[in-house]
Amino acid sequence: MSKRHLLAMFSSFDEAELVVQELRNTSIKGFDVNDDLVVKSPIEHPEVEEFLGEKPVYVQWFTLFGALMGGLLGFFLISGAQANFFEQLKGGKPIVPFPPNFVLTYEMFILGGVYISVLGFLICAGLPAKRSPLYSSSVSEDKIAILVKSEAGATSTLRAIFTKHQALEIQEEAGK
Amino acid sequence: MKDIREDIAWAKINRDVLVSLENPRKLYWVIVFGALSLFSVGLGCEIYQYQVGMGVANLNNPNVWGLYIATFIFWIGMSHSGTLLSAILHLMHADWRKPIYRFAEAMTTFSLMTAGLFVMVHIGRLWQFYYALPYPNDRGTWPNFQSPLLWDAMAIFTYLSSSVLFLYVGMIPDLAICRDNLHKGWRKKLYTLLALGWEGTDRQWRNFRVTYLTIACFLIPLAVSVHSIVASDFAMSQQPGWHVTSFPPYFVAGALYSGCAAIITLFIILRYVFRFEDYMTKSILKKTVRLTFAIAMVWTYLNAVEFAAVWYGHDMDAKAVLIQKATGPFAPFWWGMVFCGSVVPLMLAFKRFQTNIPVLFAVSLLLNLGMWLERWMIVAPTFSHGYYPWVWDNDQWPSLIQWGMVMGSFGWFTLLFMVFCKVFPSVSMYEVKEMVYHRSLHLKKNETAGQGAH
Amino acid sequence: MSVSNLLENWSQFRHFHPVDDKPHDPYKWAMSIDIDACSGCNACSVACYAENNIPVVGKERFQHGQQMHWMRIERYWPDHDFDFPEQGAEFLPMMCQQCEAAPCETVCPVGATNHTADGLNSQIYNRCIGSRYCSANCPFKVRYFNWYDYPTDETVWPAEMNRQLNPDVSVRGKGVMEKCTFCVQRLRAAEVTAKGEGRIVREGEVQTACQQACPTSAISFGNLVDPESRVHKQWQAQQVEMNVDEQEKDKEPGGSHLRGYRILEELRPYPSVMYLERVRESAI
Repeated sequence: MSKRHLLAMFSSFDEAELVVQELRNTSIKGFDVNDDLVVKSPIEHPEVEEFLGEKPVYVQWFTLFGALMGGLLGFFLISGAQANFFEQLKGGKPIVPFPPNFVLTYEMFILGGVYISVLGFLICAGLPAKRSPLYSSSVSEDKIAILVKSEAGATSTLRAIFTKHQALEIQEEAGK
Repeated sequence: MKDIREDIAWAKINRDVLVSLENPRKLYWVIVFGALSLFSVGLGCEIYQYQVGMGVANLNNPNVWGLYIATFIFWIGMSHSGTLLSAILHLMHADWRKPIYRFAEAMTTFSLMTAGLFVMVHIGRLWQFYYALPYPNDRGTWPNFQSPLLWDAMAIFTYLSSSVLFLYVGMIPDLAICRDNLHKGWRKKLYTLLALGWEGTDRQWRNFRVTYLTIACFLIPLAVSVHSIVASDFAMSQQPGWHVTSFPPYFVAGALYSGCAAIITLFIILRYVFRFEDYMTKSILKKTVRLTFAIAMVWTYLNAVEFAAVWYGHDMDAKAVLIQKATGPFAPFWWGMVFCGSVVPLMLAFKRFQTNIPVLFAVSLLLNLGMWLERWMIVAPTFSHGYYPWVWDNDQWPSLIQWGMVMGSFGWFTLLFMVFCKVFPSVSMYEVKEMVYHRSLHLKKNETAGQGAH
Repeated sequence: MSVSNLLENWSQFRHFHPVDDKPHDPYKWAMSIDIDACSGCNACSVACYAENNIPVVGKERFQHGQQMHWMRIERYWPDHDFDFPEQGAEFLPMMCQQCEAAPCETVCPVGATNHTADGLNSQIYNRCIGSRYCSANCPFKVRYFNWYDYPTDETVWPAEMNRQLNPDVSVRGKGVMEKCTFCVQRLRAAEVTAKGEGRIVREGEVQTACQQACPTSAISFGNLVDPESRVHKQWQAQQVEMNVDEQEKDKEPGGSHLRGYRILEELRPYPSVMYLERVRESAI
């Protein structure tokens, strides 16, 4: 059975928080508060994370992997290249010298870390994303939006909760 | 005096910044035109030099490096304060950086691009530039990884690409605002593409916060390493006056210094051109000025340390170079550097100048003049007074071609910067909102606490 | 596979040069120049121009300091202990010192200048991109840059002069660094001939152009590791060691009475050219 989206706009974070709490405390058939609820806000808002509960972020694992791989790759690529190109002997220096290779390894460490972190960000945040079915440009201005997804039967209950908390505007996905 | 008004409406922030994308003051076009003409001059000089040979720059043996390398260091240095504002101050939770970090970060990117140009115009065979890149080829040749120039290339590549990513990632929420608010046209398509479908969902913000913080943590050691490596071009060499242990920290301090001075200059220009008086407030300017003053004093100290180390070090060749700097043909420029770099910033210590915009504009330009002279005084005197007596007093005045390209680089930088500020929001809208939000929360908390006391 | 190559031959890759356990074999080209014999006639310099296709840049570019003399005669007028100033300058023939641990080699971003197996400091013209870092780091300032495209310049190289060029030496275009090679084209030819005959190059078999042109035989050149060579004997007689930054003989109180010395030895580039100090006062 297909699910339908409902978007409600609120003018302040406090109201949005109350709504989320109420959604959490009421059990509505065909609506799972953990999976079907998305909060959209114009700024990075630590309280949103608090009232939504702990949700894990995995970007830092990408960072760790990227940095380590960058460093290792850097060192071995450079040393390997030097070892395969021993005609390039420098008087007074070994063919594989450590100090310069460490400098370059350091740079590659950072390069790998940054690139893979950004990649991890795109993956974890699901970007580039298809635009969600309901969106209001006032989210990018100053409103906070709650997007829910539910079975057709739950829509009216959700709508009632939104209205109770003075939603400024409620958008509903057109039925199929 | 407040950093920013708490009662400023969020919708107004959007409006004010978005208007800068469409409707700047007339001065904007004057600056763009000026930059374009300067850049054309530089481009003409490069075409001539490319055709005829490096000799037209009036370089010779031993003066093989001229203004190109000096100006290269200058631009690399200027890039560092963008990272200072965006990364270091971000980690230190100094939220006054928020309205001004975006353009500082853009400055980082574009001054690195300008510095990259000088590597190009400096080398004798530009058409063989790719030999310096480590790419696998069937001849099995590789660049020389021992050369500090190669570290430079690697460091600059890392820094440039990381800065671009940092700038871009930090701009995604603002690009979404642009996408939502601008009329149809190529710009809307551009913003739609670049915003990657950002909608400000909790998941996006959560990952965004961690990523931004992570890259900021990487950028700080990276920025330090970049200018240390540029310093290594000199410190790793054997020449008197260059082979100095304290060069890396000295270069980093100099980099932050010239960058901060440039931020003041651009702050004043943007504030006027894009009517950002509500966001780039005098209070923020004052904080930047104080930061610049502190860094100026650090730089002065490290400069003095370097001279003292040479003076008492009994390295007679290095000492001879130092004496020649202060008394030889370069003396006017060297003392000019000391004056602009160490004496002029003392003005910034006075409260009455800290918010005086015309004075600050002049001072910031003088500071950067001093820092440019510093770089020239690092590069040139060692060539005319090195170890080998045969090359002593062999002074070579840079030709107009060199000066033309130095001017051209300022044009190129200004052009890129001004185009960026017109195409992308140069004030971070979402972060200004955060700043306003947190300050108003703070204010509210104080009020309720005050009421409770009654 | 490069990583396995790296691990298998690790000790070899960490080996560095110059060290005593792996000396140059069978060649180490070196030179010694007796300054006492030098009359400053510049014949060496002219011979070098002719042998190595060096462009004569002309008056104006010379004034800009853009001359290309690989071999130059430096003149010094000492301001003290000089009893006969009317007799003019002291002379010092200066060319690339073919350092064993050359400061120029490590800094080249593309590896256009390297250390060869026979102890030369090589310069690969078609690899050079012209960053000029080598010259910046050369303590002797003996590297010369092609500031203009001399081969196509009619005032430098008129078309009818092309037949005068040495076919064994490449003509360098604009934007590359060049320097004294110890007449490497002659060395290679002699090495190949000797190899074909199953022997090493004998003393006197190969001469550099400057050595050949010197009217007073001030320059001797040869294989330093060949005990029969004149260079070897001179270095030994003067007690000049290659791989040191201060000669044993100079550590004695009062210094040494021997004339042999190397320029800027204390910077540790280990130059391959030994100079013999001037003993007489007069110029001629």
